[in-house]
Amino acid sequence: MGRYVIRRLLQAVLTLSVVLFMLHYLMSLAIQINGNPVRTFFGDKPVSDELLQATMEKFNLDDPCLKSVGDPCWGMFTDRMQQWSHFDFGTDFQSVKIGDSIANAIPVTLTIFAITTVVWALFGVTAGVLAAMNRGRFIDYLVRIGTTFTLAIPGFLMLILVQNIFGVIIGNWFREQFGRESFLSLIFQPTYSAKAPFLSLVIPGIALGVFGIAGITRLSRTSMLENLRSDFVRTAKAKGLKRTRVTIVHTLRNSLIPVVTVIGFALGDALGGSVVLEGLYNIPGLGLLAFNGVKTNDTAVVIAVVALASVVFMVTNLIVDLFYAVLDPRIRYE
Amino acid sequence: MADVKFQSEILPELDPSAPLLDVRDLQVEFRTRDGIAKAVNGANFTVNRGETLAIVGESGSGKSVTSQAIMGILETPPAKIAGGEVLFHGVDLLTLSKERKRRVRANHVAMVFQDALSALNPVYTVGFQLAELFRKHRGMSKAEAKKKSLELLDLVKIPAAAQRINEYPHQFSGGMRQRVMIAMALALDPDLLIADEPTTALDVTVQAQIMRLLAEIQAERQMGLILITHDLGVVADVADKISVMYAGRIVEQAPVLDLFGKPAHPYTKALLRSIPRLDTKGQKLEVIEGLPPVLTNIPPGCAFAARCHYAQDVCRTDIPLLETVAADRAAACHFSAEVINGE
Amino acid sequence: MSDVSTPKPSKQRSLWSDAFHDLRKRPTVIVSVVVLLVVFAIAFFPSLFTSVDYKQCDIALTKAGPVSGHPLGFDEFGCDLYSQAIYGAGPSIQLALMVVVITLLVGGFIGVLAGFYGRWVDAIFSRIVDIFSSVPFLLGSILLLAMFRDVDLPLISGQFELIIPAVLTLALFGWTNTMRLIRASVMEARSQDYVHAARSLGAADGRIMFRHILPNAMAPVVSLIPLSIGGLISAEATLSFLGLGIKPPSITWGIMISNGAGWFTGGYPRLLIVPSIFLIVTVLAFVLLGDAIRDALDPKLR
Ligand SMILES: Nc1ncnc2c1ncn2[C@@H]1O[C@H](COP(=O)(O)OP(=O)(O)O)[C@@H](O)[C@H]1O
Ligand code: SF4
Ligand SMILES: [Mg+2]
Repeated sequence: MGRYVIRRLLQAVLTLSVVLFMLHYLMSLAIQINGNPVRTFFGDKPVSDELLQATMEKFNLDDPCLKSVGDPCWGMFTDRMQQWSHFDFGTDFQSVKIGDSIANAIPVTLTIFAITTVVWALFGVTAGVLAAMNRGRFIDYLVRIGTTFTLAIPGFLMLILVQNIFGVIIGNWFREQFGRESFLSLIFQPTYSAKAPFLSLVIPGIALGVFGIAGITRLSRTSMLENLRSDFVRTAKAKGLKRTRVTIVHTLRNSLIPVVTVIGFALGDALGGSVVLEGLYNIPGLGLLAFNGVKTNDTAVVIAVVALASVVFMVTNLIVDLFYAVLDPRIRYE
Repeated sequence: MADVKFQSEILPELDPSAPLLDVRDLQVEFRTRDGIAKAVNGANFTVNRGETLAIVGESGSGKSVTSQAIMGILETPPAKIAGGEVLFHGVDLLTLSKERKRRVRANHVAMVFQDALSALNPVYTVGFQLAELFRKHRGMSKAEAKKKSLELLDLVKIPAAAQRINEYPHQFSGGMRQRVMIAMALALDPDLLIADEPTTALDVTVQAQIMRLLAEIQAERQMGLILITHDLGVVADVADKISVMYAGRIVEQAPVLDLFGKPAHPYTKALLRSIPRLDTKGQKLEVIEGLPPVLTNIPPGCAFAARCHYAQDVCRTDIPLLETVAADRAAACHFSAEVINGE
Repeated sequence: MSDVSTPKPSKQRSLWSDAFHDLRKRPTVIVSVVVLLVVFAIAFFPSLFTSVDYKQCDIALTKAGPVSGHPLGFDEFGCDLYSQAIYGAGPSIQLALMVVVITLLVGGFIGVLAGFYGRWVDAIFSRIVDIFSSVPFLLGSILLLAMFRDVDLPLISGQFELIIPAVLTLALFGWTNTMRLIRASVMEARSQDYVHAARSLGAADGRIMFRHILPNAMAPVVSLIPLSIGGLISAEATLSFLGLGIKPPSITWGIMISNGAGWFTGGYPRLLIVPSIFLIVTVLAFVLLGDAIRDALDPKLR
């Protein structure tokens, strides 16, 4: 087990370094091909070379390697990594410290993901388990049709519909009926509201939970079905245990083990979805930060946020794997 | 010992003078895609305290389904008990309420399954799975339950039990795992133990050890034991009597020695010729030609007719009933008299 | 062990023919196949379905309702909604098919190599897969397409120029799944009898891999093809919606959704609903077909 953890950690560090370098390389390549984004600051106005040079220097975009297409810009990369090791992520084009922007965005995005995870666990797993236990009956059909539809409706479309239907149509009705400040009005908002930072994130968080919920529900169902048929569940019945104990202790517990592993995948979907979500709802989280950074070619911001997302994704998958080993003794003792 | 059980809390109405288990005309069907599969078509047998009954038959003959019907652990649907009685000291287990059925399991009737690796829950320690019985049925504390579990592991002769109790099923060898299964079945001191192919998944040497263990414990506790197998050779030493099952019916029952000496049913005869024995060494073993009938479409008459050397026209129209052919012996064959006489 | 007496028919063949037999009888399969045939016909021969040019717009007709010859009315720029929806099918479907073919070829080839040779070959490819899969699919695609959105690709021109960047990006992040699946089933197949037999007859590695192992290792991937086409159509629509996928003057359902989204609550829900229904019905048909194939290949889990 110890060796397994160390091996996984080493692999993760290696992968991360390559991912960071690739990000850096792609961003440099984009600048080499598209031209230095600093130029776009000045629009069509004529600008002196000195001013341009000074601005480039200010944003660390003055390295001559950015002029030759294909140059990996090693120097810039090592400089950036050195800075990062002191938690210095530089500044964006508005001269705001990126570290501060990220620090402000993290709680917002975390709140959304917390809500999303609750949706996965509460609705996703419960629906799958109930469907399996009522196989072939109404609930089962309902859940299967539901997962099929969530797979068939593209996530961004779902978000647009949720925003329009719940945020605008229903929300406006609540605002008319109960006033702007009522609880329901604050929950059913068309965009993020700084006045109700948590309440206005509830519906977007639930909507984001729909990204990836189908996988979780379906796996819970098949895993539960498989175990319900298993020999050890038959043994548990033969032991004269009560139905609830057979179901929870001897079926559910075993069925949840593989479900843990898809949470990593679902998180990946949700990370991508959060860019769309935060863009649509104008939520000041990491997704919006990345989205705006991409729009303005703000290299430093994009690399920092995407790197963070990759780290989170990788660490989650690592934890999922380790957790899997903890839950399943057959893996633990290998 | 037996007397304690006569004042069962769970089954106060039981009749101590009735046989321990009396299965009468048990019928089990499965709803399948191809129609109704008649897996058990009228099984009849009895087991008394202190007695070992072996049920023998090819795989697919309905042995496991019969035992699970007795335990009341068949999934219904797809299974359906289409008829018959399972009398435990005169009380029909099939008609009990769900809750009483549940409490009969493990307390009065317990079961050992074929493949202990899949029959034990992989994510709990052996100790947890044993202690669970004492805690849930007897309300014991964790410590008490653990003590009792250790005693059980000692009883089934698992070395270093105190340490192994905290291990998981996959860490045990096949034989040791089957001992754990047996310990689990014995935990609440049942009156009847059903062992469904308990040694089929094991090596030959280990098979013999497990059989000996079962026989010893059965003799010591004076339990009723039903030993299910597809291998006649395995049960010769331990069983008192044998019921032979074919296509969901008991086709012959007899004390072991009689059955081995003078089989009364052509199927039994064929089975005996297909087991390797010392005295037939060098002779070619015979396999039974043909296949058992498809359970969704059992032909009229004797189910064995298509494979039987003795078959006549009557066999293809009239179902032979299980009838007495000699003292303590019964067979379901129109020509059992000829068969028993070796003609 | 327990079923020695029943004869075992050739497992692979009966699996596929059983599955096919089973599929033909299901209403969901029939309906989705019909829907998909229509969608493919629309995608490849749009002129059969409309004679109106989707690019011919009359701003005076902005958001006008249905009139004769324009069954679904007009969008905010006065373009015919029906002909847009018809012409909007092509790029997405072509893109999805191209991506699936590329991921199957690349992922399949690398998967076979990694699974067959194991050891360091496997170690290297598996690390590469780790790298690509450590950046979430949609996030990575958004990033890549946004960074290079203004770049003109050399060598490609005409119709494909507009979809190639999205094709490459989606393929880049999509091949790892195929590779993993193929690798796993090749590893299983590698140790089987027919492979030993082929090897002992002196067959070359390449022949064993691609003639003997690959056909058998394809099974788990096959049932995923419709599902991944559906997923790619969704992904493309997402990218188009963000302005990063296929770009105007081409039209796609994603672009139509992006244009129509703002009018949903402004009195013209039709502008969002029309492209949404086309998109959802198409993806749904792929999902249902994929589910049916998977169920047919593994009936126990239905
Ligand atoms: N869940 C089930 N659904 C349908 N048929 C079943 C089921 N369980 C058992 N059967 C059928 O019942 C017959 C008897 O099975 P079983 O009792 O397991 O035989 P065995 O004598 O080998 O233990 C078999 O032919 C099997 O196909
Ligand atoms: S009844 Fe007829 S067919 Fe059946 S076993 Fe006896 S002789 Fe054979
Ligand atoms: Mg059996």
